[in-house]
Amino acid sequence: MNGPNTQNRLLAILLMTVACLVLVVGTLSIVANPSARSSIAGLFGGGGSTSGVSGGGDGSTSGGSDGGSSSVDVGDIKNVLRLASGDPVTMDPHLAGDSLSAEYIVEIFSGLVTITPDLRLGLDLAESWEVSKDGLVYTFVLKPDAVFHTGRRVTADDVKWSIERASSRVPLGASRPSTTALAYLGDIDGVRDNFFGLADSVSGITVVDERTLTMRLTEPLPPDLFLSKLTYPTAFVVDRQQIEANPRNWTRRPNGTGPYRLVEWRLGERIVLEANDRFHLGVPSVEQVLYTLSGGSTLTRFENDELDIASVSLADIDRARDPQSDLNPLYKNFPQFTISYIAFNTAVPPFDDPNVRKALALSIDRQKIAEVTFNNMLAPATGILPPQLPAYTPGDKTFPFDPDAARAALAASSYGSADNLPPIVLTEVGGGAAARVDTQAFLEQWRNELGINVEIRQTDFATFLDDQDSGRLQMFNAGWIMDYPDPEDILDLKFHSASSLNDVGYSNAVVDALLEQARVERDSAIRNDLYKQAEQLIIDDVAWIPLYFSQSHVVVNEAVGGWFEPPMVIPRLRFINIER
Amino acid sequence: MTAYVSRRLLWLPVHLLIVTFFTFSIARFGPGDPVSVAAGQFRDPEVLARVRAERGLDGTLFEQYWRWVSRAVQGDFGESFLQQGYSIGELLRAKLWISAQLNILALIIVFALGIPLGLLAARANGTWIDPFVISTLLFLTAIPVLVLIPPMLWLFSLKLDILPVGGWGGIFDVYWIGDVIAVPIPDPHLYLPLFVMTIGGFAGIARLVRISALEVLTEDYVRTARAKGAPESRVALRHVLPNSLLPVVTVTGFALVSIFGGSLFTETLLGINGIGRFMFDALQSRDYDVIMAMTVIVSTAFVLLNLAVEISYAFIDPRIRIGTESQT
Repeated sequence: MNGPNTQNRLLAILLMTVACLVLVVGTLSIVANPSARSSIAGLFGGGGSTSGVSGGGDGSTSGGSDGGSSSVDVGDIKNVLRLASGDPVTMDPHLAGDSLSAEYIVEIFSGLVTITPDLRLGLDLAESWEVSKDGLVYTFVLKPDAVFHTGRRVTADDVKWSIERASSRVPLGASRPSTTALAYLGDIDGVRDNFFGLADSVSGITVVDERTLTMRLTEPLPPDLFLSKLTYPTAFVVDRQQIEANPRNWTRRPNGTGPYRLVEWRLGERIVLEANDRFHLGVPSVEQVLYTLSGGSTLTRFENDELDIASVSLADIDRARDPQSDLNPLYKNFPQFTISYIAFNTAVPPFDDPNVRKALALSIDRQKIAEVTFNNMLAPATGILPPQLPAYTPGDKTFPFDPDAARAALAASSYGSADNLPPIVLTEVGGGAAARVDTQAFLEQWRNELGINVEIRQTDFATFLDDQDSGRLQMFNAGWIMDYPDPEDILDLKFHSASSLNDVGYSNAVVDALLEQARVERDSAIRNDLYKQAEQLIIDDVAWIPLYFSQSHVVVNEAVGGWFEPPMVIPRLRFINIER
Repeated sequence: MTAYVSRRLLWLPVHLLIVTFFTFSIARFGPGDPVSVAAGQFRDPEVLARVRAERGLDGTLFEQYWRWVSRAVQGDFGESFLQQGYSIGELLRAKLWISAQLNILALIIVFALGIPLGLLAARANGTWIDPFVISTLLFLTAIPVLVLIPPMLWLFSLKLDILPVGGWGGIFDVYWIGDVIAVPIPDPHLYLPLFVMTIGGFAGIARLVRISALEVLTEDYVRTARAKGAPESRVALRHVLPNSLLPVVTVTGFALVSIFGGSLFTETLLGINGIGRFMFDALQSRDYDVIMAMTVIVSTAFVLLNLAVEISYAFIDPRIRIGTESQT
């Protein structure tokens, strides 16, 4: 019986090896994990050692878990804000066009003017600004105490050089031109020439003295609009000396003028910001901000006390809203400057007929869909301009859910009934597995109320943009994120008939006239009124069906004070405090 | 053999030219481009045209490809649109290193567990152990990583709270005994990804070894060895094992390429910034320079590793001679 015996022995050895491995690995993982350690200690009645500073352990432990590399010490978490984020696309303010990069950039750099938490224009590097009577020339005087992180004074030359770099053919140290320079700085005389290589400098900017400079515009703009554009990173000040000395790698430890300094950036791992104790608008209260760039669900890590802020997703929203839940007191939500909408290509049939567009708009119940499919995490849009924006008016300006009126509109259209309509395809970004839940609901309502069968097509983002730009889409699901708090940023860009971003072929001479008038109107009350009129006309023309205004749902550690999710990217970290 | 190896290596650049040209054309013929994706909402056609010109994305396909090749042979693979301010080399190095560490560890576990288990199942052919092991393995192979990860997270991170939810902390962590003695231990971030990455592969290897060992067990030399009275353990280790490994070696070549390719789902779901996840993002946003650099890396790895596998045949099986015309 030699065979089976050996066989059994082999099996026994193998099983024992596996068991040992499992045991060793299991033990070590428990030992290595502080929270598990304390829970095990609690099991044996030895708990109570979970001190106020839970999760991070003492200085030596967390220093040790860094693997002994030469990283910044994030030892005591008392005054460290722990956030989850990702690697920014770029730390170069002049190249950034995405909100993720901007979140870091607005804390590290700054410009002449800024947007305050209450969404008003505020002074940043500039001590004052003045506009000439004809509205063409702006004069800025810099603060005497505005310095770079290195301590060097910010001069008018720095501002001029920065704007010239941003709008140059290829900014020094970059591999491509800025995609945002024309949109934000294009109103300054000479920026276009600089961008297209017809000049080597921006002729419209003049340095008067060390602290004073003037900007000449190509046409008079409302100050609110022009200054709003200067709050965007493209107009931020960078350190010429640093970039010239190290053009390829300067963004890894950029020298800025913002409330925080970048002290560590390990790709894919973490970013550490430290308070700039010479910041000209006041020293931030939170000393260090630690962004963890990898890791799974933020809410799970929040509950594990690894993060101070976490977003709440649709799957967890019920728990956060439940008054019995421990998450409930920590839960907050904030409206965002983002609107999602269904766009009609008004140049192609059947959407060249406003009555067809109107019929579709009247036959969907957005209120119910927001409730049922999004658990009210989004608010049905009441217009095109989201709340908190100048020119926003409360009250629903959109088409209500009214199936009878919808059928009447369809009957009044040139097609007369659903049977005569050409095939309709709705395109959205997606992997092709399933349509967005709200889209499915819309489709069902259109079929039930109007008898119209809409087909869904999903493409990836790159294809979608390509099709959208070339006007190939008949009807699509999209969204718009405001870049600066000015109605021009959405109404003029998306609906003026000559705008390159008008991808729906919308053209209304009255709307064009209102928008053009608003571009140069310097009285903000009159200007806002012009935008209100334009908004209502666009809604009545049904170029879009506005769907929802989005909201940011988060849970905030109780030790963190003053946390807010601004509706757009603005500097906020210096308004936060921590009391652990 | 030297002649054979050098001949194969001389073909490498040709392989690369063909593969990169195909990848390049497929990428360019597809709709959309990185400039438009990177520009996001700022899609002024004039501006986009300037960016394309500056990044060498204008002109015909052949002009663009030629520009790419002439830069690439000088070692300049361009810049990613997703992560600017870093060269492609720097960017891929960090992410490749993370994926490689994970995949190498996973492969070691796969082979260390798969081979003995396969052998065991083959030896136990005819008893309940064999079908039990094999059906368990089939079950394990059949679970997609996507399905496996959420329950694992729920169990180990949320319920038991012994493993982190995701992320990456290197291979080793340090455990301090009384703040004095540092003991290196495996980083707790490793366990979940390693578990989900090995479970399928190890089952695959075990099944492969089992089939090939079953064949070997019927060979004359095994019977001879047994007839001579050699102990079973010696028969298993000296005769059956080496001869069952040939198909495993072939698989190794392909498996090793995964070191350079990363693993998409594991990395995405567990928040590990490895190469698999990065490649997916690059493909989604038409990040041409990254796609091309990865094509070069993966195809070079594929050619070289398979060459290594062929060479290793000669060492494992003396009957195989590499590069000679006549055989056995």
